[in-house]
Amino acid sequence: MTVALIAVSVVTIGTLGLGTWAVRFARTTSDLFVASRAITPWWNAAAVSGEYLSAASFLGIAGLAMKMGMDAIWLSVGFAAGYLTLLLFVAAPLRRFGSFTISDFVEARLGSPRMRLLAAAIVLGIAGFYLVPQLKGAGITLGEVTGAPYWVGVVVVGVIVAVNVGLGGMRGITYVQAVQFWIKTFAIALPACLLLIYLGGLPHRAALFGADVPRAPAHGLVVKLDSSKTVTFQRATDYRIDGVPRHARAGEKVTLPPGRLVLPAGAAVPLGSGAEKGPGVVWARPVGHGGRDGPLFVYSLLIATVLGTMGLPHILVRFYTNPDGPAARRTTVRVLGLLGIFYLFPTAYGLLGRVLAPGLYVTGETDSVVLRLPHLAWPGAPGNLLSALTAAGAFAAFLSTASGLLVSIAGTLSYDVWGRVTGTAHSTHGRRLRFRVCAVAGMVIPVLIALAASGLDIGVLVGWAFALAASSFCPMFLLGIWWPRLSARGAASGMIAGATVASVGIFAGLIAGENVGGALGALLSQPAVVSVPIAFLTMIGVSLLDSANQLDAAPAMLALHAPEGLGLEQLAEKPAPAEPAPV
Amino acid sequence: MSPPSAGRRRTPRDEMAEATAHGGLYLRRLVRAQLTLSLLALVAFAGILGSLPLLLFLAPALRHVSVLGLPLPIFLVGFPLFPLFVGLGLIYQRRADALDEAFRDLVGR
Repeated sequence: MTVALIAVSVVTIGTLGLGTWAVRFARTTSDLFVASRAITPWWNAAAVSGEYLSAASFLGIAGLAMKMGMDAIWLSVGFAAGYLTLLLFVAAPLRRFGSFTISDFVEARLGSPRMRLLAAAIVLGIAGFYLVPQLKGAGITLGEVTGAPYWVGVVVVGVIVAVNVGLGGMRGITYVQAVQFWIKTFAIALPACLLLIYLGGLPHRAALFGADVPRAPAHGLVVKLDSSKTVTFQRATDYRIDGVPRHARAGEKVTLPPGRLVLPAGAAVPLGSGAEKGPGVVWARPVGHGGRDGPLFVYSLLIATVLGTMGLPHILVRFYTNPDGPAARRTTVRVLGLLGIFYLFPTAYGLLGRVLAPGLYVTGETDSVVLRLPHLAWPGAPGNLLSALTAAGAFAAFLSTASGLLVSIAGTLSYDVWGRVTGTAHSTHGRRLRFRVCAVAGMVIPVLIALAASGLDIGVLVGWAFALAASSFCPMFLLGIWWPRLSARGAASGMIAGATVASVGIFAGLIAGENVGGALGALLSQPAVVSVPIAFLTMIGVSLLDSANQLDAAPAMLALHAPEGLGLEQLAEKPAPAEPAPV
Repeated sequence: MSPPSAGRRRTPRDEMAEATAHGGLYLRRLVRAQLTLSLLALVAFAGILGSLPLLLFLAPALRHVSVLGLPLPIFLVGFPLFPLFVGLGLIYQRRADALDEAFRDLVGR
């Protein structure tokens, strides 16, 4: 896999180099931002999409689809649809308002500096949740490419991103992010198309997963187990571990010791935890009968993704480079188109993976199906080249997303937490140093969690980040932009209520694991359908009771909604200009 | 709008600038029109997206319809929604820009 290593290195060095080079040319933040405001909606849209497409989109959807079945393709739909709600309710007003960090918006709209700290805490939670799966993606990708243990990839990429962000590279660089989008789309689309053609097209290949459980290919299946795994045998199976013959009854749960597992040709592949146990027909349905792939789960997932996108801190910052409200709308429509292209492809990997990479079911590492599928499906040089391409695309995915997230984390930590607590937020002295320290510190906890979370699926982790965003910032933005009566106290109570319910659900689900089935199991694995309405109702209710403390929202409404070109912008009491992260 | 009277010409923009009750009314009307548009688009969007899981749940027979060797539901979820989102987004964007433009015409002269 030397080719893959070279491809990954080229993407990494290219991205970091280009970012650093571009920052040199834009000496100060304002230069950087002013220069970038001449960017066309197409470039902006590619940049937003580039920042958005993370390890979850690139690796996670396919992995989850392979493991749990086709209900995972709702993730593709929801990830794209999130931009439609962003377009309808947030894009233009937020651009006009001129606040691009969530904390700035909260303070300016609700007139309460204290709210910043709460917003900062939730930003850290969401960005942290989102950063962990990026690092997990890095761990498995570097493992696939070099054979290094999981922790090496996590630590190496964590250090690269932290140092790069700390040094000021890859920030606000629209062109780099836009190019990243096309790298990722090319890297996922080309192998998918070529593989389908090589394998004889879809009908021929698709017939394979058919009605059956995953089975070992004609030449048998060898799986190397690094640690002991608990698996369920679907059928009575004879197998060997390190050459010792063994037998399992149908439905038997066995803990396999580390070693070389050998399955004879055509044997049903034992499934690790979390995998859909049913045959192909059950696996292939996007909506199941109930429980973890039932309608309740699907709706909850859709609510989380459709409403969560507007609460992602690293995405909103990107809208600054639109010159005005209508341009923000145009950009968002183009984002929908670009993401629509990308999200056609992860499904193909999930479908082919069930047939061609069944070994991943034993280890449970279906997250690496995109990386491994090409060279399993197409042995020899072409497959290796395509695997190198998907590995490079995966690296592009988590480098860009992780950098964007870490910028948000470091900015929030250094400005809202450190700066506010010590009362030095506005002094420029030491600001750069503070930002650097926070960039490094902000990476430590996500790295530690990623090391512990190697068993969790990327798609699941990101689903939680979306649930948290949908239950806290989404109601705050929707009501803050469109409802003048939202009060600071209402927003605070709603965000706390929503975030608490979502987090409790997530952690309870994590502890209870697969033991809870049915509706409760669905809610614990994706709590948004409960937590989002709770957040909305709390915000509205408390705001109505709080009418004595109403702030005059008229200036904010003017700033949010008055079209440009009337000179009304200057009349509205503008919030303090957004504090862009210092370079 | 009423034609400019001889002498001093007051535009709605001035009324907004002076934060008169009239000015506030203009803006509230715009916000309401934009919100109505967004909510209409949301209803269309949520109606289509939201009915698909229900359809697949209530009509399990669709699973046995095979297209290119794959069950039909995979195609229903995986392909047609994306162009639909773009189409809805485009229609919304045109209408929203038009509302802004109408407001500019009303207030600016």
